[in-house]
Formats: sequence, C-alpha cells, structure tokens
Amino acid sequence: MKLTRRALLKNSFLLGATAPLSLGSALASNPASAPQQGPITLYGSDKSTTELGLGLRQQGLLPRYEGHFNPLALSALPSGTLAAGFTDESGIVLLTSLLAGRGRILALGRHEADRHQLLSHRGPIIDLMTVETGSWQASLGREYGRLVSTPGRGRHAKELPRAATAANIRELSFLVQL
Amino acid sequence: MSTTQRILPKGVAEADFDAALSLFRDTIGSESVLTESEQLAPYTKFMMAGEDADYIPSAALLPNNAEQVQELVRICNEYKVPIWTISTGKNLGYGSAAPGETGQVILDLHRMNRIINVDPEVCTALIEPGVTYQQLYDYIQEKGYKLWLDPPAPSAIAGPVGNTLDRGVGYTPYGEHFMFQCGMEVVLANGEMIRTGMGGIENSSSWQVFKWGYGPYIDGLFTQSNYGVVTKMGLWLMPEPPAYRPFLIQYQDPEDIAEIVDVLRPLRISQIIPNAVVIVHTLWDAGTHVVRKTYYDGKDSIPREAIERIKQDEGIGEWNVYAALYGTPEQIEINWKIVEQAFGASGKAKIMYGEEAEQRGGGFEYRAALMKGDMNLQEFGLYNWRGGGGSMWFAPVSQAKGSETKDQTELAQQILGKYGFDYVAEYIVGWRDMHHVIDLLYNREDPEETQRAHDCFAELIDEFAKRGYGLYRTNTEFMEQVAGTFGEPLRNVHTALKNALDPNGILSPGKSGIRQ
Repeated sequence: MKLTRRALLKNSFLLGATAPLSLGSALASNPASAPQQGPITLYGSDKSTTELGLGLRQQGLLPRYEGHFNPLALSALPSGTLAAGFTDESGIVLLTSLLAGRGRILALGRHEADRHQLLSHRGPIIDLMTVETGSWQASLGREYGRLVSTPGRGRHAKELPRAATAANIRELSFLVQL
Repeated sequence: MSTTQRILPKGVAEADFDAALSLFRDTIGSESVLTESEQLAPYTKFMMAGEDADYIPSAALLPNNAEQVQELVRICNEYKVPIWTISTGKNLGYGSAAPGETGQVILDLHRMNRIINVDPEVCTALIEPGVTYQQLYDYIQEKGYKLWLDPPAPSAIAGPVGNTLDRGVGYTPYGEHFMFQCGMEVVLANGEMIRTGMGGIENSSSWQVFKWGYGPYIDGLFTQSNYGVVTKMGLWLMPEPPAYRPFLIQYQDPEDIAEIVDVLRPLRISQIIPNAVVIVHTLWDAGTHVVRKTYYDGKDSIPREAIERIKQDEGIGEWNVYAALYGTPEQIEINWKIVEQAFGASGKAKIMYGEEAEQRGGGFEYRAALMKGDMNLQEFGLYNWRGGGGSMWFAPVSQAKGSETKDQTELAQQILGKYGFDYVAEYIVGWRDMHHVIDLLYNREDPEETQRAHDCFAELIDEFAKRGYGLYRTNTEFMEQVAGTFGEPLRNVHTALKNALDPNGILSPGKSGIRQ
C-alpha cells in the first residue's frame, strides 16, 4: 500500500518528503551506519521473527532466537536484558503485566491486516525512509533497534497503513528491557 | 499522538511533588522510585473500557518492607500525595496495575515477597503481599508439605494477598478466599501499624488460627477498601486429601442451567461437593483455546448456529459443569453415587470423570488442575477469542437457585447482543450463593467498539441492579457506579470510616467508590 502525502501528514509522518512511501521504506535506515549495541533476546517462531531479527541486526544488535514467547521465562533473564519479538493477545497481556516494577516497555506494535499501530515510550518514531526494499518486519526491527539507543522520552503513538496482505493475521510486537 | 508533559498528583504542586519524590528516594533508594515513561508504561496497561489518559501514574514506589511503607505513607500525608496500592498488580480485567486515576502514585508491594511462615500442622501461612501463588506453591513443594493452595485462574502470577483483599475466588473447597484469611498486619494512613485478630498480643501463637481476636472484628474493613495498606496476611491452607476425583457433567440445552443449579445446591450446602463448582458456557469453554473468527467474523454477537458448530466440533456442552470430590477413596465412592443419582435423574446430563472426561473437548485438564490448587495460565487464552486486548469481568451475585438463572442469562445475552458482544460466561456456585461471571471481551484498539463496551457494561450494571443483582467486584472504571447501586446509607458509612482513618484521603482514592 502506498501512503499519500495527506495520509503521511495525518500521521505526523512527513518531514519534507514528497514521494509516496511504503512502511517498509518508512522504517528503514542505513545499516552501514549502525552502531554495535549488544545482544537482544528475540521471541517468536515464524518468518516475522526472522525478519524482525534481520532489522535488529542491521542496527547493530545481536539477536538470540529463543523461539515461542513464554512471558514467564522473562523473570529468569538478568536485569538489563533487551527482548523483542512477536506474540499473541494473551502474551502481550502477560508481558506488560509482568513488567510492572520489573522492566521497561520501550515500544509495542499492533500489526493488523490494514494498519500498523506503534507505541513508543522512547520518543517519536521518526526514522524516515530512504529505501524501498525489504519487509515491514525488517523495517520494524530497524526502528526498534534505533529506539534501543535513542535518548528519547515520552509516550508517542503512530498509526500507519499496512500494505494489503492475503494473510489477514493480526501480529503483536514488543520491545522491552528488563 | 505524543505525551511528554509531566503527570502530577491531583492538587499537588510540582515543587511539593519533587520534594516528596526526594524523600521517597531517601527512604527506599532511587532505584525503587520509578518516574520514567518507559518504567511507568506497564502500570498504564489495562483491559477495561476507560480512557488511557485517565489512568496514568505520576510515579511508582517499590518498598521492600513494612517499615518503608510506614515512612512512605507519612511522606504522602505531609505532601498530600495520593497513592494507589497494588500487591502483584495482576488484577487483570479489574484495572490491572494501573492507578485509580491519573496522577496517583503507585505503591507497588511486589518486592515484599517473604513467606514468613508455613505451618504444616495447623495448615496456615503468613505471607507478604508480593508473594505469588507460584512462589508459595514452589515453597510448599520444596518443603514436602502436603498442603494445597487455592489459586484463581490467572494463578501463577497473581498472589494470595491481593486476590483475597479483592475478595476473589478459587476452585477448591477453600474457594471463598476471604473466608480462609486469618490475621493481618496493616499500615494505616497515619503511618501506624496494627495487627488484627490475635496479632495484637505479643508472641501470640494463635494469630493465624483464630480469626476474631477481641472486640470488633475489622479485617473486612481492609478488603475492597482504602482504609489501610495490608503488609502481611495469614491464610489457611487445605490439607491434601487422600483421594481426589474431578469430574465433568455436560448439558446440551440452554434451558438446562436451571436444573443444574437446583441439583447442585443441596450437594453444595451439604458439602457432598465441597468445592466452588463452575458451570461454564460453551463460549468460555471453547474460548480458552479457540479463536472466534474460526467460526464467525461478524461484529455482532456470535449467532446460535456458530455456537452449535463449536459444540459439535469441540465436543463441549452448552453448559459444562466442573466439580470434584475430595476425601478418602471410600468417601469418594459413596459421594460419587450420590452425584450420579442426583444428576442422572432427568436423563439430560452426561456425567464423566477420568479418561472419558479428559477425552472430551473443553477445559477439563486445566479445570481439574485448578480444583486441586495447581497452577496454569490456560484461561489467558480467552484474550485471543476476540482479540484487541479488551476484557471486563461483570459478576453479579445471586442465590444458588435455578430460578435465578434463566432471567439472568437472558438479560445478559440480550444486553450483550444489543451492543454486539458475545456471552462468554460461567456460573460459580458457592455455598449458597452464585456468581454469574461474564467476560466482556472486546477490541480495545477500536475506539468505537471500546465505547460500545463501556456503554454495555454500564447498562449491565444498571439493569441487573434493578432486578436485585449487585456485583461482588468490579474494575476501577465502574467502581463509582457500582458503589451507587448499593445505596447512599452504606456509602455514607464508608465515607465516615474513610474520613476517620485517612483524613487526608491519600490511600487509593476512589477504590470501591470510596473517597473523603
């Protein structure tokens, strides 16, 4: 799906760009400039997770794949551990609940058939697009990777259209730190 | 949409709040005073149909012991800072770990998680608010004690103190949690500490065995209330019985609910069936492991035709009764005959246990675990039923009589249908009472649907109250409305107690509709 200038403006997403853009490009950044940021535990068990990991890696993070998300396993991870991935509704409920007083929610994503809803607690989602390649999951990984190192603060929500998909599956992503 | 402005407690100047924060840090350490957005974010996640902006904390405090709680409360009194107390923060569907209103400081007691004592002879425990069911379970297993817990459905991560103080229920014979509570330690709003029951007697050995103490019995004042901060609580544990037989009874007709309750009532009152029996509707039984859109993707209530398909495919009934027998093998055999005779009389029931029950669809496995106090998180599957993270528990109380079920079920289905929601429900039959628990599941990411859910819940409260059914518990968004259904005289007493015990109104303002 292409974003019109009007749609971009509506989503506070246009910073001087004029061309229609896809989400894939919207969240892309230059991998070559990515700093080395250290390990991140990655949860999920399908292609989306692999792509998310790719994006995180492009931002200098070192994903360690842990498979299907078990929120209860988070308590065994050392303080300071970064974690990202995909889960279902009950997983998000458990995750956010378990983090109270124990960790930080850096960002959450709700990826519906027709739109992406992103919520950051690390400042605005601003990484704008210069590349029109790759999947939205990889772009999301790059943006999550950027948020890991950003000094931004405050709650910022953004909604973006999602390219039409045959899968019609709701996916929920997260980026947290214990 | 961005939110970066600072959240302050209502009526507190920024300079005063900064001064209070500084004292909080001196008391419990900087690392235990949370003020950053991403640290506070987990305390803003809730499932009820309220506005996000109405439930944002200004800070969270994580004390390690009761003495720190006393000092924090004194500071709050000095600066008139309102605090909202949580224990493990797992009151999901009732407000979760979010404050009662924006600006309140969360007093998060989850780090106070000491198991002070478990006595295997008198079968009691004394614990702090941060102890989870899983933690207590593991402790008991490690010690090799033959004792059972009574966890609610989100068992592993929730805790006995918080659940009991909210008057939650479980599924073993100790299912009415407050009934099996014994002795509290409470920090009052002025920072003083009291012990209830026999706890006031120095070196008393009976604090966890004799509930009443001397003089007025006040433990109930600290449940569903904001009169103090409970920092320790005693509870009774069930001795592991020599034998246990969970069973399942299925009925296929929606009208059968009346018969089920009437057959159950005498068995419950006489303790032939001693545990809190659940009568689970099709959509709840399926919803723990089936996704709605597999059968229906409409925005209105799921139609009867789809419900029948679910019953067929999943091998579950319209009503699915989960109960258990406890005792010696001989006692169980005798009681089983009574159960079979009672439920078999009409010829409508399919009565099962053991492999036959396990092979049926639905939730027999996790229900059987819950009825013996074992942990599991199966019921979280309900959140996948409709998706979108919205859930509110509507739970009116009635007598355990069949005649109370037909109108309630029809009324609930009619109101839920009007707003396009599904009847995902169960009845829990207590000793003489019955909780009609409905999970109003909705897509909280859809503002229009969230508004509908809000209106639906409000109408459920009012319409049930008109017919004499009050709620035993509710979420923070609707506490004020529910308090109103119980009448002004009672509210006036609650307010008088609040004014006497917490004159600055710093403890959980708005809890159960109670304010200064």
